[in-house]
Amino acid sequence: MVVDPARQLERSARLMELLARIALADRSAFEQLYRLTSPHLYGVAMRILRESAAAEEVLQESFVNVWHHAGSYVAARSQPLTWLTSIVRNRCLDRLRKHDIETVSIDDEEHAMTIADRSPTPLELLLSGADASAVRRCVEALDAVQKQAIALAFYQGLSHSELARHLRQPLGTVKSWVRRALERLKTCLDGAGVAR
Amino acid sequence: MNYRTPERANALAAHYVLGTMPARARSRFARLARTDSVLGDAIRAWEARLSPLAQSVPPVEPPERVWMAILARIDRGGAASAPERRGAWASVSLWRGLALTGFATAIALAVVLLMPPLERPEATLVAVLAGDDAKPALLASADRTGRVLTVKLIAPLAPAADRSLQLWALPATGNPRSLGLVPMSGIVRIALPVAAGTALQDIPALAVSLEPSGGSPTGLPTGPVLYSGPIQRLY
Repeated sequence: MVVDPARQLERSARLMELLARIALADRSAFEQLYRLTSPHLYGVAMRILRESAAAEEVLQESFVNVWHHAGSYVAARSQPLTWLTSIVRNRCLDRLRKHDIETVSIDDEEHAMTIADRSPTPLELLLSGADASAVRRCVEALDAVQKQAIALAFYQGLSHSELARHLRQPLGTVKSWVRRALERLKTCLDGAGVAR
Repeated sequence: MNYRTPERANALAAHYVLGTMPARARSRFARLARTDSVLGDAIRAWEARLSPLAQSVPPVEPPERVWMAILARIDRGGAASAPERRGAWASVSLWRGLALTGFATAIALAVVLLMPPLERPEATLVAVLAGDDAKPALLASADRTGRVLTVKLIAPLAPAADRSLQLWALPATGNPRSLGLVPMSGIVRIALPVAAGTALQDIPALAVSLEPSGGSPTGLPTGPVLYSGPIQRLY
């Protein structure tokens, strides 16, 4: 999804207004927020959890949480979609880390194929996610291995040790790729004024 | 280690947000960040940096039942929860339940056996899990050589808000082993580390317990056993 900056601002303003109304227990604002954001958030959860039942549960828990805690959203601190996406990603990651058995093994070739068949790879997502923004320039500046490691961690929730297995590299090597990639992204993005 | 220096807070927050932090460090860091504004700010800065990347994930329309479930939960005020019967795990009800399930299993086996023959010879493991009332609630099955355990909910379950259902393998001796969480309705496919015939070799029965949301925090069942049933091996 490529979003132009003007539309993005407009959408943010709309979501902020809805969150403010939800904090006052406005049901119709809550439903509008759900209709506007749930396909994106469910897509993110499906990507990480790769299991619709688990993704549905995370989406459900996240929105119940939003209903109860919309008042804790502070517009000055984060964009509304960033806030919502973080709630969903955190719940997904907590689940993956807590229940290793539920994590579909990346060695499961059959599964890897179904994912590959129907959707872009993590690397493709990383490069298209960076469309039309400073993020693109910064992501493209990373080494190939750094891009791959960041993409697998961000979109599929792979841990350091899973990354090491998947990329067939020693754990220490993978850790330093990720660390350096994050440092480079920070320097580049902060220079471009992306983070507040 | 002083995690509050800006450099350290930044490096930890980066790993937390990217998702590469291991389970224990992750929950500890999240706890610290709730009250520590240096860590909280570092996390928000990384969320702002990385979240544009999530925009490229193709949106997927969630099934309408998710919205219905959300509405049902906020209507209950999120406070309702079933009283926990701690210690029920060791009680006789589990074993009484297993005995009662015999009849249900017979029916399920009949269903499986009456299905049209498949193209290849089948070696299947089946378990019908029932509650105290002996009504079948879940059907678990796996191909002996496959690494997937399929669990189907025969009727949608309605546990209290903020609770999860967790499936356990009950070995003849030793502690139950978690197989994963089961949803409230539909079908879930649980990945097994090895072929089902081997993974469930010394497992006479399966059980489902009621656990805190996200599953048992201890790795062992903490809530009451709601459903259980013996594993039948069709080979």
